Amino acid sequence: MTSTADGDATAGNLRDTLLSLAANGYASRSKSQKGSTSDLSIDEALVLHSIGWEPVELVCGAAAFSIPAGIWTWTQGEVVAASAAYAGAMGRAAAALQAECRAAGGHGVVGVRVDVTVERHLVNAVMVGSAVAPGGGARPPAMPFLSDLSGRDFTLLHLGGWDPVGLAFGASFVNAPRRSVSAAMRQSSQNVELTNYTEALYAARESAMERMQSIAGQLAGHGVVGVRVSEGPVPFARHVLRFSAWGTVVKASGRPDELGPVSVVVPLDDAALAFDAASLRGR
Amino acid sequence: MSDANLPADLPRDAGKRLAELKKLFTSDLSVNEFLLIKQAGFHPLGLVMGSSIYHTGIQTRKWSKSQELTKLTEAMYNARELAMTRMEEEAEQLDADGVVGVRLDVNYYEWGSDAAEFIAVGTAVKAESGVSHRNRLGKPFTSDLSGQDFWTLMQTGHIPQGLVMGTCVYHIAHRGLAQTLGSVGQNVELPNFTQALYEARELAMTRMQEEAERLGSTGIVGVRLEEKSHQWGSHTIEFLSIGTAVGDTGAAVTLPQPTTVISLDN
Repeated sequence: MTSTADGDATAGNLRDTLLSLAANGYASRSKSQKGSTSDLSIDEALVLHSIGWEPVELVCGAAAFSIPAGIWTWTQGEVVAASAAYAGAMGRAAAALQAECRAAGGHGVVGVRVDVTVERHLVNAVMVGSAVAPGGGARPPAMPFLSDLSGRDFTLLHLGGWDPVGLAFGASFVNAPRRSVSAAMRQSSQNVELTNYTEALYAARESAMERMQSIAGQLAGHGVVGVRVSEGPVPFARHVLRFSAWGTVVKASGRPDELGPVSVVVPLDDAALAFDAASLRGR
Repeated sequence: MSDANLPADLPRDAGKRLAELKKLFTSDLSVNEFLLIKQAGFHPLGLVMGSSIYHTGIQTRKWSKSQELTKLTEAMYNARELAMTRMEEEAEQLDADGVVGVRLDVNYYEWGSDAAEFIAVGTAVKAESGVSHRNRLGKPFTSDLSGQDFWTLMQTGHIPQGLVMGTCVYHIAHRGLAQTLGSVGQNVELPNFTQALYEARELAMTRMQEEAERLGSTGIVGVRLEEKSHQWGSHTIEFLSIGTAVGDTGAAVTLPQPTTVISLDN
């Protein structure tokens, strides 16, 4: 039941967001006022400022796709309808986010938080981030970039001679294979690899990754950084495994690398006591 | 790349995905790690993974005897080897020099009793200079070090040789009633428990060291010793030691003198 409750909460948040946007006359508000809203921290806003970029507006994109009834029974192979709904919801949410960013005059969105919930009849995707633009009033591009990197990471990439071009994602839902009773009996006391299981999971993972890569290819990127692969059973249909992967597509900008040599520092504050190399990997 | 030269135990889907990686790289490296690996003169090629779902056999244990459960040890070894080898094969397909940031995980699924998925994921990298950095067996090196650690290691004239591990599944004897009663109310060491844990750890660490010796490495860094009961009950424990074997490249130490900073973060 928890998943439903979460889903309701998300739907509630979404409704509130939409209502407040409608009430304020979103597009006119962002054009008429000079000030900007963003969920960047002060540090992030400062480092962005140091490379000449400024936050423009807090933008949001959301989409819900319905899943047809009766697809969660335990059969074989991929649950195609669920994979398609996931791709649809994520794609639409990203497009909505881009549209809001364009309306606000941003060149791209950084720090995109992707919140996607899969329910029995619904896939719900919400993306929230800060639209940013370089100072000097350059004309915004027709297709603003999206990135789940923080303002700090964006700055680092920028200085290192790379530009984010978009968010790539892929997911796949697959039924766990079944083992025949005789095979289970035969294998019960042995050390053996269960090859049909291995192959099924492999195929699912590969198709999720491949979908992500094909989006990255369409965006004409040179690579994807910070890919997060997650997998696990679907809460209400535990025989179905969900694989999802997403990351930021980057492209070499052609600008020289301005990062310079790396220096080694030893921080002297208490926070360093809790320093953990794994935390730098963002998980 | 055609399917013809794809190793037999890699699925065809993997071949297709890897072929696409000629144009585009993927990596689970953070931006910091990505930039540091570029600074160290390497380029990420792609996310590589290996996976195996393995059914673990059954071994009877004597209630009052401490012993290694060789069949279970073998299962844990085999399954991890399968996953690691498949990951290395993917790296080989990409013509990589090595794999950094390797994570080795064990997942259990509800639908597979006594079966566990062993999975290895990492980012394949290649030197931009074209000089081969493979290990002395001619294979891509593997390492569980982060991008930051990899950079630091390279600056000190070392290079990872391989992810080495040793494992031992050990059954620790229960204590007899007489022994339990004998120690009630006293401060005493329980020598049979101590000895069993000692022996299991020693076995795991020795096996790890042997793997490192085979790679001709000068040392092992970042060793972790993990103790897990998995699904075998409290007296059967897997001791796993895992670390990155490193070798000396003979290159000069270029690590800058550390600067101390007082950070303004809170």
